[in-house]
Order: sequence, then C-alpha cells, then structure tokens
Amino acid sequence: MESGKFVIAAQEAEAMAKTAGVAALKELLPLLVPTAQRLARPPISNYPVGAVGLGTSGRIFLGVNLEFPGLPLNHSVHAEQFLVANAAAQGEAGISCIAVSSFPCGHCRQFLQEIRGAGEIQILVTSDEDAAFRPLSSLLPHRFGPFDLLHKGIPLLLEPHDNDLGSVESAVIAGGGQEVYEGIEKEGIQQRLRAAAGAAAKASHAPYSGCAAGFAVADGEGRVYAGSYMESAAYNPSLGPVQAAMVGYVAACGGVGGEYRGWGIFAAALVEKEAAAVSHDGTARIFLEAVAPGAHLNVYRFRSSATV
Amino acid sequence: MEEKPTRSTVGKFVIEAEEAQAMAKESGVAAVRELLPLLVPAAQRLARPPISNYRVGAVGLGASGRIFLGVNLEFPGLPLHHSVHAEQFLMANANAHGEPGIRCVAVSSVPCGHCRQFLQEIRGAAEIQILVTSDEDPAFRPLASLLPNPFGPPDLLHKDAPLLLEPHDNELGALEATGVAVGGGGSCNGIRGGGLERRLREAAEGAARSSHAPYSGCAAGFAVADGGGRVYSGSYVESAAYNPSLGPAQAAMVACLAAGGGREGGGWGIVAAALVEKETAAVSHEGTARIFLEAVAPGAHLKVYRFRPSAAV
Repeated sequence: MESGKFVIAAQEAEAMAKTAGVAALKELLPLLVPTAQRLARPPISNYPVGAVGLGTSGRIFLGVNLEFPGLPLNHSVHAEQFLVANAAAQGEAGISCIAVSSFPCGHCRQFLQEIRGAGEIQILVTSDEDAAFRPLSSLLPHRFGPFDLLHKGIPLLLEPHDNDLGSVESAVIAGGGQEVYEGIEKEGIQQRLRAAAGAAAKASHAPYSGCAAGFAVADGEGRVYAGSYMESAAYNPSLGPVQAAMVGYVAACGGVGGEYRGWGIFAAALVEKEAAAVSHDGTARIFLEAVAPGAHLNVYRFRSSATV
Repeated sequence: MEEKPTRSTVGKFVIEAEEAQAMAKESGVAAVRELLPLLVPAAQRLARPPISNYRVGAVGLGASGRIFLGVNLEFPGLPLHHSVHAEQFLMANANAHGEPGIRCVAVSSVPCGHCRQFLQEIRGAAEIQILVTSDEDPAFRPLASLLPNPFGPPDLLHKDAPLLLEPHDNELGALEATGVAVGGGGSCNGIRGGGLERRLREAAEGAARSSHAPYSGCAAGFAVADGGGRVYSGSYVESAAYNPSLGPAQAAMVACLAAGGGREGGGWGIVAAALVEKETAAVSHEGTARIFLEAVAPGAHLKVYRFRPSAAV
C-alpha cells in the first residue's frame, strides 16, 4: 500500500484484494485501516482515527481525522466526514461499506444520514472484539434525517448538485493581507482560487439553508485545492467549506505519516451567498488566522437569480 | 399529545420540585415523568429557530425532582455549528442550576445523532429515558437503544473524572485582561463602567471554573449583559466526540433565554460580554466569540481575559 494515497482506483483495489487473499473487496477495507490511521492529523487529542470506504464504483477512499489547535472543537473533521468529502470531491456516487478504527460517534452517524440509503451502509469497527459489518441503521435506530425536512426529489449527498450562483458579486475582503506568493503570479492564483471555490459552491449540498458555499486554498507552489459545503439535516454536524477544502488539500498531498507539518497555505477564496442565513466569512477568517496567519482571503458573494 | 395548560409555566425554564408534583396531580398523572410530554408543546413555543423554523422543545426531569426545559436556538449569519439543540439547552440549563442528574427527557422530535452523542457526557447516559412526542406510540426508552455501542467519556477519560452535571472546580490561576473591542464604543445605555465590566468578568470566571472540558483541559466561560444591566453566563461543555461541544457563548445565550432575557423586540439585546479562557489554549473561543457577537449583537463590547494555570495542564 503506497503511503499517502487517499483514493485507490477500482482495478488497483481488486489487485490488492487478490494479493491479500480476501474473497470480496469489502474484506480488504479493515486491512487498510491502520495505514489510514497513520495519515491522521489530530494534534489536540493525539487520537488518530482512520476510515476506509468502498464506493459503488469499486474505488476505495480513505478518511482521517483533522484537528486544528487554537480554534473551537467544531472546526475538527472526523475520519468518516473526511471519507465522504473525499469521495464527493471525486464524484463518487455512493458508499456501500466503511471500516473504521473506532466506533463512529453520534455526530458521524448523523452526518452519514445525508447519503441516500444511509441505513444500509455497512460499518465495521476494527477495534471491536467481534469486528463485523453491520448496517448503519443498527448504530442509529429511529433516525432523524433528510426526509424529516426535505421532499424525496431533492438531491442528497454524493448525488449531482448544480446550485444556481447567479451573478457573483465580487466583494473582496483582505484577510491577513501580505499577499506574498513567492514569485508566483498573484492574479493567476486569485482567478484560479475563485474559479475553484465557485465550482465547489455549485456542487455543494446545502438543501436546508439554501446557502451554497465553496472554499479554495492555495499552497506555496500555487496548487489549488477546493471543497464544497456539506450540510447536515441536524445542522451542527455540517462540514464547513473550509474544512472540506482542507480535506481536499490533505487528500491530494497525502500528508506524511505521523509528522504534523505546517499547512503552508498562502491564499484562499470563499464563494458564498450574499446576506446568507448561513455565512462562513467570519469563520473562514478565524480559521486562517489560526492555521495560516498571513494568508490572503478573498470573499465572493453571489446573488441567486432564483429564490432558494 | 394533549397539552397541559401552562398558566403557571409561561416562559419558565425551570419548575421546582414541589410545583412539578402539584402539576402532576392536577394533570392526573401517576408519576412526574408522565407530565413531561404534556409540557413539550409549551417548550416548543419558546424555541428560537429563525433559520429552519423547525421548533424543538425538550423537557427533562432532574434527579432533584425539578423539571427543566430546553429549546433550539439558531443564529442567522453564522455557520450552523453555532446552533443550540433543545437537548443541549436542557442540559446546559440543568447544569447552570446545579442539577446533579437527568433521568428522563420528553422531546418533540427524535434526538439527532449529535444530541445522542452530547448526552453521553452525563454519567449513566445509557439509562436516560427518552420519549419522543411525535412518535406514533410515544413511550420512554433508554438512550442506549438510540445510540448502541456509544463512543463516550469512558473511551478517553478514567472513570473518576467528573462528568457533566457533576461538580467541577477548574483552576484558573492568574487572569490577564485583554480588551477586544467589537463594534462601537461599548455603550451600555448608561450602565457602563467598572461595575458592569467587573460583574461580567466575575460571572465568566465562575462559569469557566465550573466548565466541563476534560478532553482539551481548556476551561472557558462566557457572560453577556443586556441593556438593563442583567448579566447571564454559561460554561463551556465539551463532548468526547469534540464537534458536539457546546461553546461558552452558546451556553451564555441559553442562560439568557432561560432567565427570561433576550426577548426585547426579537433581538437578543446584548450590549456587552466577557470571555474567560486559558492562555494559548489548544481550544480557543476568542475568534468565534467575536464573530458570534458581530452577528448577534453588533456593537456589543467584548472583553477577553486569559488565565494561566499555575500547574501545567
């Protein structure tokens, strides 16, 4: 298993299953959990969690927990959320099974409800004495979920979203403001950040508030990573666009096992709705202050042509 | 479910044990816990969810025999993790009143996973009886049946560590003041000055002392004052699962509403606030408190006090 890989293509997954001598792909998942754990970044708890999921496409996705010192704990990303955000960013249509290093907490059991057919997602906990796959419905019986608030035709998480952003009003707000890009052309980066955040906003899952949002970050070499806001019917377990972008960043870079490097973010862009009931502007600012002081943030607010 | 007349409980978030028993008699129910579902509609009416307009009311019976109400709160202009669920409100309310345990909870809709997780912070959480009034056949069932194989305090703490609703007395050490102005010049309708600032600081300090933060070790408390100079404070309540933690600003808003505050003209009427938290904390609420006040009480003055514990935590 190549360290640092957060997505395993279907063919490679099958080859690995053969090599490992397991009958079905899903039996491979628990074997990959320890590797996933080693990629986790939880400097507050030092409690690494690894999650490995099998997509309906046959691809395997990894998820790890992320913690950000200096911020409230609701900025943390759980391994199961990382896994789902990772899969969503890769256009995966469904998750059938997940193996994870410790029991999903209630927050995650709730977040997973955003996926259609969540009840049938098979979950295996490697730390369990009798580790075996069981349906998510057995871990969150009598659930509260999307259909308590939405009608059945609304797209759920991992289904195609194409939110109407209308006209993007450029409301540029300077964040730490040094705008040092170490020789990389500033305008090019800003445009790419804006485009990436805009695309992420278009694909975001925000059916409860109607407030689509996307975030993008750029590293010192001008690479751009973006993430889409993912709302939960239960509100609080929602994954912020900033967190989703960090998932994109970690998943692309792979991280280095056991070593917590700095984040190296130089610039960022937030695309969200004007006068939004749910706004990430302030939270993005404090996130960058803690995680990447000096990084420049541009905020773009759009006005939907349709009322959501 | 049939609604209980609420003449004696309008706007009341805490019902004393004797009154609870009297109400139970009047309603003709055998046990006080059977009274809880009858009070849920009244609780729902006190909810403030302007984003979802989905009102949730929760009514809990404490070990002391007192009844506590909880409602959901939503704050437009902020990310959704600033929301307070009714079950969290209920626990923060009970906690603020020194209630040692919650035995039963009746709630208007089935608790979400976030709340089932948050409730794990109470000792004996598995046995808390939950009744959902929107169920076809509402009946009390143990929380364990709603969150089997829970992740919780026992996974991270040793068994003697105090849990939520148990006495906490966090050591704060020396307090250093840092003024952080949010918005305008901190006018408090003529009540400004050392008196109010001191009361806010003391209230936030007291709240930090009793906060439940065993995972990060970062005790924190928040206090807010309204235009009438009334001060309300709340303690940070951490969750083993991190994200469901209740921030100190949220806990203070719970106290504000539970005490009958925050009802002027639909706004919250907050004019000043104080945050007490640890210096260079792994978990800091300063930034979040600033954006919270910007959205909920623009112009309110915030003062932040950072403490340095004498022992290394």
